[in-house]
Amino acid sequence: MTAVSAQLMSLETMNQGKIAFVRFYAYLGLIAGLAGLAYFGPGGYGGETDLLLFLSLDGISWGGIGAVAGLAVGAAISMLKPEWSDSKSASNLVPWLDGALLMILLAAVMALFEPNQALISYENQANLISGRIVMTMNMLFLFSAVSYIAYLFAPAAFIGQLATWSAWAGVYAGGSALLLRWYESYLISEEIGHAPVSNLYEVFILLFCITSIIYLGMERRYQAKALGAFVMTLVSAGVFFGIWLDSVGQGDIKPLVPALQSYWMKIHVPMNFIGYGSFAVACGAGTAYLFRHWLEGRGGYTRLLELFPTLDQLDQLAYKAVAIGFPAFTLATILGAAWAAEAWGGYWSWDPKETWALIVWLVYGAYLHARISHGWHGKTLAWWAVAAFLVTLFCFIGVNMYLSGLHSYGQLA
Amino acid sequence: MRNTATDIKSAILRLGSMSLAIVLLSVLALASIIGTVLIQNQEQADYLTQFGPLWYAVFKALGLFDMYHNWWFLSLLGFLMLSLSVCLWRHVPRMFKDMRNRKVIIADKSLQRFHHLHHWRLPGVSIEAIRAHIDAQLTGWKLQTAEKSGRTYIRADKGRYHKWGYILVHSAILVILTGGLMSVLLGLRGNMSVPEGASEKTIHFLKGSDMVSLDMPFEIRCNDFFIDFYASGQPKEFRSNLTIIDDGKEVLTADIIVNEPLFYKDVYIYQASFGDGGSDIRMKLFHMDGSQRTTTLKSNVYETYTDQKTGISLEFTNFSPFNIENMAAPGQPKQFQNLGPAVEFIVRGPGLKPVKIKSFMNPLIVNGENNGSFMLISLTGNASDYQPFYLGMDLTNPKEWQLFHAFNKRVTSNPESNDPQASLKAFRHALSEVYGNQKPEQIQILGGHIMQGMRALSNLPWPFIPVLEDYDQIYYTGLQLSSDPGMDVVWIGSTILMLGLCIMFYMPHRKVWLVLDPGDKDIRVSFGGMTNRNRLGFEREFHGLLTGLEQAFESATEKRSPA
Ligand code: HEM
Repeated sequence: MTAVSAQLMSLETMNQGKIAFVRFYAYLGLIAGLAGLAYFGPGGYGGETDLLLFLSLDGISWGGIGAVAGLAVGAAISMLKPEWSDSKSASNLVPWLDGALLMILLAAVMALFEPNQALISYENQANLISGRIVMTMNMLFLFSAVSYIAYLFAPAAFIGQLATWSAWAGVYAGGSALLLRWYESYLISEEIGHAPVSNLYEVFILLFCITSIIYLGMERRYQAKALGAFVMTLVSAGVFFGIWLDSVGQGDIKPLVPALQSYWMKIHVPMNFIGYGSFAVACGAGTAYLFRHWLEGRGGYTRLLELFPTLDQLDQLAYKAVAIGFPAFTLATILGAAWAAEAWGGYWSWDPKETWALIVWLVYGAYLHARISHGWHGKTLAWWAVAAFLVTLFCFIGVNMYLSGLHSYGQLA
Repeated sequence: MRNTATDIKSAILRLGSMSLAIVLLSVLALASIIGTVLIQNQEQADYLTQFGPLWYAVFKALGLFDMYHNWWFLSLLGFLMLSLSVCLWRHVPRMFKDMRNRKVIIADKSLQRFHHLHHWRLPGVSIEAIRAHIDAQLTGWKLQTAEKSGRTYIRADKGRYHKWGYILVHSAILVILTGGLMSVLLGLRGNMSVPEGASEKTIHFLKGSDMVSLDMPFEIRCNDFFIDFYASGQPKEFRSNLTIIDDGKEVLTADIIVNEPLFYKDVYIYQASFGDGGSDIRMKLFHMDGSQRTTTLKSNVYETYTDQKTGISLEFTNFSPFNIENMAAPGQPKQFQNLGPAVEFIVRGPGLKPVKIKSFMNPLIVNGENNGSFMLISLTGNASDYQPFYLGMDLTNPKEWQLFHAFNKRVTSNPESNDPQASLKAFRHALSEVYGNQKPEQIQILGGHIMQGMRALSNLPWPFIPVLEDYDQIYYTGLQLSSDPGMDVVWIGSTILMLGLCIMFYMPHRKVWLVLDPGDKDIRVSFGGMTNRNRLGFEREFHGLLTGLEQAFESATEKRSPA
């Protein structure tokens, strides 16, 4: 056994049994501590200054106490009820939380390289670090897409590894760039500071990361590497759009209009993008299905086909992605309705964005029914997954470009 | 007779079919698109000009201008409710029955059909030992055992209540639609505008294509309205200080901002918009008849001042105390500057083309240099067509107005005024006439002002220049009032929906069977499994159980066999 694989082994055990269980509780404690600070802390919920609150001494002590308390609870439970510590949910969730923590640490390290406060201004944001990290993310995602495609034609294990690792690196670059951007918004001015989910540019980065994470999770569980060529190509198309957005000045940090100054924004928007991201992966799986189907129809291509999951697996993967996206999107819509009820006085106004969200929801609802009822085959549903994603895209971008309404703060220039 | 009865029954049952559900969901999706493409609830006249009389009549008959409240869209929703009810009625009893009694004994034929099936032959192990291993492997599964003709059947379930997911999701949609219906029938939503210092009782809302009004059981007074701006000029906060007056008594005073409404007597009061509530405006008119005369004019936003002598009128349309603009050249880093208060008005007069003007109170100061008074003029009346018009002189400084006249008088009285030498001389004389011995600083700039003034003023078609002199700003706050008894029903429905979806997607029903069939030499063990959702996940799970059992059985037989 080589040293590397021994190390990998020990990483595996880190995510199992007691270690994972106790760590999971520590994370829960940390989150509970910060939530407690936000709601019951001395200053109370500080509206848009929450990031500063979490980074303050108060944040460190509340979060720290929470984490230690969580650790203690986890340890106690795993002693008293050892069989509970085999819980699947802890070992499934802990790697994600580790990843989040790593992202935060990365962002913290990058923050050390920010220019001197005196050089930071709203008018000229070119010297901020996050822009460069986003560019790195763009390059990593593009590189990953190219590698995944190359892998289809030259299926060497190392090319596959390269593709996967660059996609992961892209996720970490994107995630930490967003966190850094959040911090930078406060550096520019405390009154401007806000979570980086307020305009099209920011949510695009979020979308790339979420789409990639969902895909990479599937790749790990179901050995579906060929799918990467399709999903990461979609992401790359988005990357070009993001670069264009930045070039026309949409990439700047801008202050929040009053309508967006609400904690709902931080819940509603990311939840929506879990939905969109899953639907993008479903679209990738649908395209892969159609591609494989076409290849099979033409005959030959055995080497290429060997790399692909079977048609049935692709069909199942698309369903899996929708199964993640549909509840998330439903929840996001409900949260949006709750926000609308609080901000506009009605939970539903038939505003174009809302209506298109409903359309997206109905289309995927029909997809789910079509799966269960008889007589619908993989190919129709694969087309459906692709078409439904086009509807989703219209809901996401088209509405902002072509239709007016209450959500028009997302308007393109 | 019987035939019609069964026909009706089958028709009703068909209402609850899945194909109908797919069609209904798709048709609703398509219908919803219409209302997002066709802007809803505009003025009828606008629609008429947009579509022409024929299509206007067709669209109106189809109710497309109020798409989401027309009879056929509502019927579609009603049909969905009906279909859901039939669907629930058809499926729920069977599901309950299935969930209650679960067959443990399974026919061989059914077992053979399972996707996942494995057999072992285990020699020299007791049934009890095997059972112990099975129990150890299947922790977390609900186990049931039965025996029949010497065989032991073990059934293990996970997610047994999966069908509740279906029941909850579909009833939740019924609940949400019911809540929506309650909102439409019993809810109330309308707008009111309250100028600062005034109070208001009536709300206005659109009913079909007509505006209707309704008196609320209380009055709202707006004590104050504030806007706070970011340094870049975007609004940061809109805040109204309101007092509720109920039955002549002041019961409650509070601030509201966007996203933080006020709640009183089942009515939510939201900050929705704002505007000028008729600010007091004082304009200074600089008469251009050579008399150096200035007069003042007092008016209010939304009012029109008409000059009796000339027939020229100023219709004041808006006032804004802050006008923050990016002064940087295109491509340069932005440079925001507050240009100060400005009033907008439309000038009309006999023989004059109406123009829209935005007149600033302060001179334009760029990089510390005073560039004189200025205004924006739009010949089309659209704000997007505003062009800057530099008056040259700083009209807030009375000396410059005097200087202009002193200079003008000399130049016009002198026919050789085009000669730069002569102009310079005239300017010097004018300077000493106005300023005496105390010469101003920056004479160069002052000269520039006056020259620009000479050029600019000759282009103005009006007998006077209207410049904003003073103001007393009054805002109105735009409030939205709503009360919605259906809202809580919708939230309850939403919660049930989420709960149901989680069960439906994340707790699939998984069943495995172990059949132990003791023979002469060994025990035959059959292990089969199936699920109704998430086959990929189940494959892994089944495989995990399989390897676990395999290892357990192997070690059990190994322990025995050496003996
Ligand atoms: C807005 C309306 C509806 C929504 C959002 C909805 C949602 C869903 C969802 C998410 C599933 C689960 C799919 C899966 O497990 O993959 C489902 C299953 C099902 N739906 Fe609907 N549904 C709606 C309307 C209807 C209607 C109108 C009918 C009947 C006419 C219906 C009949 C069924 C049936 C029979 C199942 C399968 C249940 C099972 O065997 O697990 N649904 N529905």
